[in-house]
Amino acid sequence: MFKKTPLAALAAASLLLIAGGCTATNAGKTEAAKPAPVAAAAAPVAAPAAAPAVKVDYTKMSAKDLAEYLIFQSDSYDLKQPTQEGTTGRARLEQDMIQKTCSLMKGQELSDKDREKVMAAAAASIKYPEGGIKLGDWKNGRELAWSGFGFRTAHNPDDHTGRQAGGNCYNCHQLATDRTGGDIGPSLTGYGKNRGTSPDMLKYTYDVIYNAHAYFACTNMPRIGAMGVLNQNQIADVMAYLFDPASPVNK
Amino acid sequence: MMKANLLALPLALAAAGVAYASSGMLPEDALNVQIKKAKDPSYLVQSPQNIMMMPDNPAWIVAEEGEKLFKEARGPKNASLEKCDFGKGPGVVEGAHAELPRYFADTGKVMDLDTRLVHCMKTLQGFTNDDPAIKQKHGSKSDMMKLQTYIGSKSSGYAWNPPMNHPLEKAMRDAGEVMFYRRSATMDFNCATCHTQTGKRIRASVLPNVYEPTEWTKAISWPAHRTSHDEVRSSQHRALECLWQMRYPNIKNGSDASIAMISFWTDAARGEPAIVPDLKR
Repeated sequence: MFKKTPLAALAAASLLLIAGGCTATNAGKTEAAKPAPVAAAAAPVAAPAAAPAVKVDYTKMSAKDLAEYLIFQSDSYDLKQPTQEGTTGRARLEQDMIQKTCSLMKGQELSDKDREKVMAAAAASIKYPEGGIKLGDWKNGRELAWSGFGFRTAHNPDDHTGRQAGGNCYNCHQLATDRTGGDIGPSLTGYGKNRGTSPDMLKYTYDVIYNAHAYFACTNMPRIGAMGVLNQNQIADVMAYLFDPASPVNK
Repeated sequence: MMKANLLALPLALAAAGVAYASSGMLPEDALNVQIKKAKDPSYLVQSPQNIMMMPDNPAWIVAEEGEKLFKEARGPKNASLEKCDFGKGPGVVEGAHAELPRYFADTGKVMDLDTRLVHCMKTLQGFTNDDPAIKQKHGSKSDMMKLQTYIGSKSSGYAWNPPMNHPLEKAMRDAGEVMFYRRSATMDFNCATCHTQTGKRIRASVLPNVYEPTEWTKAISWPAHRTSHDEVRSSQHRALECLWQMRYPNIKNGSDASIAMISFWTDAARGEPAIVPDLKR
């Protein structure tokens, strides 16, 4: 996506060493204001302060480098914010291979090589339940499909104790028509009725919920299993909601 | 009353399709122009109730309170904000919001309405970050939202035209564009997931498309009264809430990352009239 010439890479690297001739930038002040967290400790010797404030010239960086700088080094996000999975805000913002490869800008197309890479990595990520793929409780699946709760942090973190995180399915899909679903993803109304419950169909559906990039590289569909949004039992419940003849999806 | 001032607007200009309107228009009139222009007006319309309520937008009361606050001598320095430079010269609010974010030589930074207002409240009035006047960023009862709604309303009908002459303005806009497409966090979302198609919905909410400036102007027209919150909200709040839904960590109000995003999204509405104060679901 961003063709980096060796020259540009060099320029970016040298940014951190050179205090540029440019005057004030958006970066200067926040860097200087950063407190040294160790100062309050019992150390009698003056703790070495954080690296001296370096003036970073935003205009000398590539757009991509500046975006990374703004996200991780400009004090813009609460990088230490705790997450429900026990990591930090920083981990949420760091990209894995699939996220990086799929950050396609306007008009940019996925190369065949990258498509294969994404699909292979996604397929390798899928873990199957011991004893095979089974359908669970469609009633709990219905609640999970409806719920948009879970994993939100920012100014109003979701408390997972006492309430299960949902699958967010209705955000983008129409399912049973007694509730309004979104249409960023395809309609799944009548899913099981139209497709049957062959082992292949169950496996395909499990895979798509778990990590849809295995079939549709760089899809908008979240990796519900691979990212731990739902566990295997919960996926079984959502699958029951899709396949069970008694489920409102198939009425 | 401010609405009365705005009524004297040259609607004909907009109707004639002038690309860069240089005078005001009531939000409901600006919105109607866009609805007529749009291929698919579903995002612009939102609901018949929304259109009906536009002239009686509760945000007008907030704007009026903001006008009083703006002209009142306040803070340790006992000064009004009438000498605040929003980029078009000290005291000029007419059309100023439509040309933000922009580079300010006195701070060396690209600033949006929120950050520039805070700057003036500190330098002219002597407020500090801990004063409620600055600290309280959200809600119709906050000074920040009252002032932003007043200042913003003075750009209604003006075409979005954030300057791109200074290299820092361009750098921030371009970084914001990268961030718009950058996927991360639990759900792998980027802004593009929801904002690159017209007429698509998250549940019942119609989503605006960044590639259609005609509808995108409504998406970025803040301050706006959100009926689902019953509060007037800012651009900064929009960034915060989207990122919350995207499972990102807390973005800091007025941070450089927030300014970069707002620079990109404002540039994407270039030439289209601001609809401020707007009314959204």
